[in-house]
Amino acid sequence: MGTPPIRAQVAEVVEEFSLVSDDVPAGIGPYKLAWRRLRRNRVALAFGGLFLLIVVLCLLAPVYSADIAHIGPNDQSNITAILHYGGKPTYVVGLTGIPTGPTWHSKFFLGADTSGRDLAVRLLYGGRNSLEIGVVATLITMILATILGTVAGYFRGPIDGLLSRFFELLWAYPALLLGIALGVSLQVGGLSLGLFTLQAGSLMVPAVIIGVVYIPYVGKPIRAQVVALREREFIDAARQQGLGPIRIMAGEILPNLASTIIVFVPLILANSILLEAGLSYLGAGVQAPNASWGTMISDGIHLIPAAIHLTLVPGIMLVLAVLGINVFGDGVRDALDPRSQVRIGR
Amino acid sequence: MRKRLRVPLGVAVVAVLGTSTALWASSAGAAHSAAAPSITILYGSAPDHLDPQISYTTQGGEADWVSYLGLYTYAHLNGAAGGNVIPGLATGPPKVTSGGKTYTMTLRKGLKYSNGAAVKASDFPYSIERALKLNWGGDSFYTTTIVGADAYAKGTATSISGISANDAKGTITIHLLAPYGPFENILAFPSSGFVPSGTAMTDLSNTPPPGVGPYMITNVVPNQSWVGAINPYYAKEKIPGIPVGKVTVNARVESNTTTETEDVLSNTADLFDTGDQIAPALLPQIQAHATHRYTVRPQVQNFYYFVNTKIPPFNNQSVRAAVTMAIDHNALSRLDGGNLTPGCYFLPPAMPGYPSKPCPYGNPKVSPSAATIAKAKAMVAKAGDAGMAVTVWSETRSPRQQFMTYYVSVLQELGFNPTLKVLADHSYFPTIGNLSLNPQTGFADWAEDFPHPADFYLLLDKNSIQAVNNQNFSQVNDPKIQNAITKLDAIPSGQLKSVAKDWQALDYYTAQKAYEIVMGYQNDPLFASTRINYKALVDQATYGWDWTSIQLNK
Repeated sequence: MGTPPIRAQVAEVVEEFSLVSDDVPAGIGPYKLAWRRLRRNRVALAFGGLFLLIVVLCLLAPVYSADIAHIGPNDQSNITAILHYGGKPTYVVGLTGIPTGPTWHSKFFLGADTSGRDLAVRLLYGGRNSLEIGVVATLITMILATILGTVAGYFRGPIDGLLSRFFELLWAYPALLLGIALGVSLQVGGLSLGLFTLQAGSLMVPAVIIGVVYIPYVGKPIRAQVVALREREFIDAARQQGLGPIRIMAGEILPNLASTIIVFVPLILANSILLEAGLSYLGAGVQAPNASWGTMISDGIHLIPAAIHLTLVPGIMLVLAVLGINVFGDGVRDALDPRSQVRIGR
Repeated sequence: MRKRLRVPLGVAVVAVLGTSTALWASSAGAAHSAAAPSITILYGSAPDHLDPQISYTTQGGEADWVSYLGLYTYAHLNGAAGGNVIPGLATGPPKVTSGGKTYTMTLRKGLKYSNGAAVKASDFPYSIERALKLNWGGDSFYTTTIVGADAYAKGTATSISGISANDAKGTITIHLLAPYGPFENILAFPSSGFVPSGTAMTDLSNTPPPGVGPYMITNVVPNQSWVGAINPYYAKEKIPGIPVGKVTVNARVESNTTTETEDVLSNTADLFDTGDQIAPALLPQIQAHATHRYTVRPQVQNFYYFVNTKIPPFNNQSVRAAVTMAIDHNALSRLDGGNLTPGCYFLPPAMPGYPSKPCPYGNPKVSPSAATIAKAKAMVAKAGDAGMAVTVWSETRSPRQQFMTYYVSVLQELGFNPTLKVLADHSYFPTIGNLSLNPQTGFADWAEDFPHPADFYLLLDKNSIQAVNNQNFSQVNDPKIQNAITKLDAIPSGQLKSVAKDWQALDYYTAQKAYEIVMGYQNDPLFASTRINYKALVDQATYGWDWTSIQLNK
């Protein structure tokens, strides 16, 4: 009770991967073995397929927009237009501001939003933005957390102390509140740190925020694992051969962290998508007029009694995407788990 | 020994009597306040400030105009009658001499602030000086009219030389630079409301200073809530036409219009913000079940896109005209749930001086055709501004943000590369009013301060371009407008009809120049809970709900 879900998930991953998979049957590599296990997990594959389908659909947003709906994601030129589907003329946005519901035709297939924009087009573009932010945030988290966690765990001493305090500082701050604080301050003025510049309003702003916020959730377990690994004999052997710290970290330690990193990717991706939706809903993520599933829910929330599709449609997509990646992620974790009970076929 | 004893005894007797009197007075006030029922008013956005000498939004004005009376105020009446100026703390109308350049007024006797302190004539110049020191958004009303006010504002004088006050006689004399017709309206601003001399020259919105009026503002939680408590000292003032408060007003910010509407519909709150809009989804429900407590009133107000005339691309009249042509006002009306009356003129229809000629860039009630859009695109391309980056500033609340996303889509269609920046409502106007930001274009609106076109033309006056709290967002500095303002502002409010045609010509010229891209004029929703005596409510044209008119049904 009271533990944020991501922390619970992190604890679970750490527990399962704290042992290096030494008990691989002879003749089969660990990744081949994992793939065999994953292939047997039909549910995980089905949900992975669902997530893949959503990704493909979202990537095809420009095609749908240009060739099927013939309307852009931010195009508001149809607000006063009248639709003639089903014989009864309907305003795209009524005189009292209520938008049309699903037409089930190429134009306004899922209806319009309050600004007269095509909901289906925005749903796909919103998905692209949400996924793009999720992927970039995950990359930022994984790269930085891996580097920082490895360096902290390998060198120990003052470097470890400094980096661990940095992790704890971020960890101690609730992810959503930290995201809002950073989001609100960066969305107006952007960020300029020498060569690194973030334009205000850019999609990279929420991506960087989310990526930074989640660093300790991955960095801490990786550090703990590196602390255990650095005491192992093969690391001592590498040192005896005269290898430097960078070569040891890159060539000896990193391959042993691969399973953990692979398992963390879907976990962080799902949480990034959720956090992005939350931040955008609160106005600290994707900025109008760009779409994201979070902003779409926010736009439609005040019209729930009259146009529930405005919140229902992006809500369902969000649930399906996160559910898909989460269940698939669980499958990957089970497959990589050396103690997995999944039967291995030859 | 006796003598020595008599002194402490005397002191003790005086102390006991004094304490008893004070306790009685405070308990009488407290009893009055405690006995008063309380009601809840919801506001769509927080006031910019609650301190009368710096507040310049309708939310702040609604609380301040009944809590900080000045020499003059407005009649507590509905409709056009509510625009009439009546004496507040002055005994009667001003004595105007020197060809309209000198105003002399006498203060009512025995006036007290909400903390019990006596009101002095010299508090008036102090209050005006305080408004200037705090950079009140409308301070050009003072600096351009009162002798020495500009020098004081610039820090080159230690007091306003054009205002003199005699505490003994209770007289106040104001010398004007030139005759200014609506000067009594200036004296009726809450910023001209009296505060005690010595009140800190800092923003006291969180602990508003004492004032004279039916109400006093207390228990301020910044950006969340404040309380309008009945001023126990005001009941004795008996100022004609300014009633005492009957209820304690709990004001609360509720930025979600659906929640705001639901709360009033279900009697969880009592009054809906007149400056906000009913949630469209709940309108049918209100029209079906709450018609006896819901009406709309045309507001003397405008919504417009400001366009910075100092920097590209809007320093080009042709580009401004192109954008004006491309805006579909009917679309804007839909975004506002049908509450927006499309228009092109800066002055609202109810204002004397509203032009009768057709709009220069097409009828706003007719959506622009494909040919019009193509022409507008060509105008932008011809100006060499296609592809230019434009930053569009917006408030968060509905429908303002929707207006701005629509505007962004129009700019995009015309070939610009727009970026929308959405700010929190409470920080929006202070941010875009900072001249160093030099905003390119964005949302703006204006609700009348007083029923005179000069009030709207303050926004196009070059003297209103200020470093902070700037109100001339488009930074218009047109000699023709300046000359017309100078000439027309001298006409007293009572003679407005005689110069209505001149105001019409000026407003048409402004529309032709497209200095502001007007969206239209909104209707006020007047929506109350079943607890409130709806027939007794006064919706003052300038300040919204008149708190002194609020009473519960018996």
